[in-house]
Amino acid sequence: MKLGTILFGLATLAGTAAAQSLVVAAEHVYTAAGDAIEGGFVAIADGKIVGVGPGVGSGSVTGDERLEVHSITPGLIDLSPRIDTGAYSVEQTDETPIDLSVGDALDLFSYRWGRELRSGVTSVLASPADLAVIGGLSCVLKTGGAPLLEARLLNKFGALRASMGSSPSSGNRPARGGRPINFYTRRPTTRMGVEWQFRQTFYDALAAKKNGTRLEGIAAKRQGVLDRVLAGDLPVLCQAWPTQDIRTACYLKEEFGIEKMILDGAAEAWREPELLVRSGCGVVLPPYVAGRTEEGAFYALDTAAKLHELGVPLALSGHGGRDHLDRLMHQPGWAMRGGLPFDAALRAVTITPARMVGVDSRVGSLEVGKDADLVLWSGPPFEPSSHVIGVVLNGELVVDPRGN
Amino acid sequence: MKLLRPMKPLLAGAALALFAGAVAADKLVIQAGKILTLAGEEIENGVILIENGRIAAIGAANSIETPWDATVIGGPEHVAMPGFVEAHSNSGMDRTNENIDVAPFLDIRDSVDPVAYYFEDCLRWGITTVNLQQGWNCVVGGQGMIVRPHGMTVEAMMMRPTYGLKLSARPKSGKSRATQAQALRTAFGDLRRYLEDLVQSEKDERGFAKREALFQGRDLEGEKSEGKAMTGKAWTVAGLELIPRGAIDEKQAPLLDVVEGNQTIYFECDRAMDVDTALSIARDNGFLEKTVLVVDADCWEAFDAIAAAGVPVVLDGELVHMHRDPLSGEETEKFAAGILAEKGIPFALTSRNSSTQSLWFQAAKAVGFGLDREDALAAVTSSPAAILGVDVGTLETGKLGNIVLMTGDPLKVTSLVDHVVIEGAHVYDRSKDVRNKQLLDGTQPSGTQAEPTPTVAKDEE
Repeated sequence: MKLGTILFGLATLAGTAAAQSLVVAAEHVYTAAGDAIEGGFVAIADGKIVGVGPGVGSGSVTGDERLEVHSITPGLIDLSPRIDTGAYSVEQTDETPIDLSVGDALDLFSYRWGRELRSGVTSVLASPADLAVIGGLSCVLKTGGAPLLEARLLNKFGALRASMGSSPSSGNRPARGGRPINFYTRRPTTRMGVEWQFRQTFYDALAAKKNGTRLEGIAAKRQGVLDRVLAGDLPVLCQAWPTQDIRTACYLKEEFGIEKMILDGAAEAWREPELLVRSGCGVVLPPYVAGRTEEGAFYALDTAAKLHELGVPLALSGHGGRDHLDRLMHQPGWAMRGGLPFDAALRAVTITPARMVGVDSRVGSLEVGKDADLVLWSGPPFEPSSHVIGVVLNGELVVDPRGN
Repeated sequence: MKLLRPMKPLLAGAALALFAGAVAADKLVIQAGKILTLAGEEIENGVILIENGRIAAIGAANSIETPWDATVIGGPEHVAMPGFVEAHSNSGMDRTNENIDVAPFLDIRDSVDPVAYYFEDCLRWGITTVNLQQGWNCVVGGQGMIVRPHGMTVEAMMMRPTYGLKLSARPKSGKSRATQAQALRTAFGDLRRYLEDLVQSEKDERGFAKREALFQGRDLEGEKSEGKAMTGKAWTVAGLELIPRGAIDEKQAPLLDVVEGNQTIYFECDRAMDVDTALSIARDNGFLEKTVLVVDADCWEAFDAIAAAGVPVVLDGELVHMHRDPLSGEETEKFAAGILAEKGIPFALTSRNSSTQSLWFQAAKAVGFGLDREDALAAVTSSPAAILGVDVGTLETGKLGNIVLMTGDPLKVTSLVDHVVIEGAHVYDRSKDVRNKQLLDGTQPSGTQAEPTPTVAKDEE
């Protein structure tokens, strides 16, 4: 633990960028990297955290602006914010446009980034819409800053997005002769077809690897992405709501030796948690709904608690809900209602999702040297009676608890 | 050993027994580590004595003697508070609107489904009083009622039948705002013309209305055989005393009640511009004092007009209005409940017919947005009780014995409802709630097939 460490070297930097230095003191500092600090501070200079520790942190940065709040947590991270540009974010002439990146389709001018940012979500994994079996590359980015991908990007290769179930097969119609195949007569049209498409893609990739097939152009690019997946460099983030789809995804992981598989929307993960443990999948749970959710999956309230007890890597998500209820900031609360301890709930919206998509060196906890992404709370975090009153993104106070 | 053997036939009925088998004890004593009376000081280590459905005594444990024949529930681990009051709901019934514009003659009692999951959920979330009204998809809707969310028949649930009438300034689907306002005004214009014609035909000694009423078998006995002069603050029809009340067409009579100020109106407003329509129609027809506006957070811009009119409000939508500036694209948020409190408008929050957004959650959210804890708790208990005019919402001697026992502070996310008491009847016990167990850990209740369905559709952008 480096609690209380202050990076003196940066004090000079702070002098040149006085406006960007800031010290936030709080009754409780939840770092997501060890125990909470009772009565502590976070010092920020030049967009980075330069001090975290007990006390008030006076003199930690020069020319500093000071704030006092009830609690501080790291900026929240949502791996399934469902911010996309709808059908335009995914190529639909192909079931597996593996080499395409959603980064090229994101509308960074959309008001929805601001909505996430205001409620404390500072980093997200943006994914293509689930209209293809493997929709392409998801990227990790900040929810604020200049509206340029380069300015916001944390990891261009966050995950490869796949989907089981009915999303990639709904809307498709079987070709019954007549007109040539077009947009609307794509395959697959069933769950088994979706599974087969996934299997075929990886089977071909394994075969090409084994045979040393020389590929060119797009085929080579796609092979490159799949090679990264097979080498464990790139996780597959696979949508699977009901237990049927969760099984399929786990079996595919085991069949092809995919090292990192994260199940998204896995509402029915409580039914066969042993399978998740055996296969080593991580889980991103959807926002809480009592009972049946999408794809007919039954979402038990203690799902998060159960997975946590078994040691399944666990992240919570908000699906970009319009309503405050659906926002990520409330999901740890529901998980706690189902029995998840506070610390685990905190990690499930900060450091665990950061690790899952390989950005934990930059974000996910309050540690010296990391990006200064903070959420400032009016009361105990994740309680419905607490509110996000301030947000710091890259050291900048984007939501000021003192009002504007 | 015989007692431990599972009794299969009983298990199947367990779910029903939980919600229907409770019998009001003559004397019930509730013990709690803390009592939130919501009418002054909290009581540490307190006791509530309920006799014949009402609170007979409330105070510190050592100040109240437990009658020897009383049933005792609760204990030091519990927090007791008044049951939550749902100020307005369209749930627990078959379709909420008939597809005709003006239908004041319809009564919700023919639509309520006592075994609807919604009522189970109400108990699970500590709601003990529900104001059921028809939906907004109407011009003039039918009559509602106040119920206890417990009982196997509509009659058993009824707390106040034929209470409230729905009007909507929010356009019925297929109507523009202009046609909606016109249809509202026309409804009252039609009533007036109808009454004038009645009086005229009586004066012409044709007695048509009377004969028609007799032919239709309508009641012309008792007080309905009497003619009464019309009362009404905005307009009256002279000569109505010539007409026996029972001779007035059933399709029109409920609206006459409204104009005479004998019925509470729940007036639906979706946008700020609807508020003026609603208030002016209420004023023009003399029922402003009996009007409750059911508003969406979008209406915040009209809250000054509401404050000036002095009508109470049910905030039925989200607590926060989100506005996107058409030029900058930036989104701003307005905390509507906070503005209501600031302007001194009496208001209630609702659970929006959703189980996850139940009243404790709405109140907690309101605190998060900056409302005082007292105001937030009042907005889901005593304030709706005052709007509905029912004797609940606080724990005081003489009030109805509607009490919730929770595992902790009501606004804390980890607190659960353990017991619910309605008018002295112990109607809910979490340890026997098999469906709650299913919601918690997925365990399918034995002998059942039924499962909850999602109660709210996601807002589409």
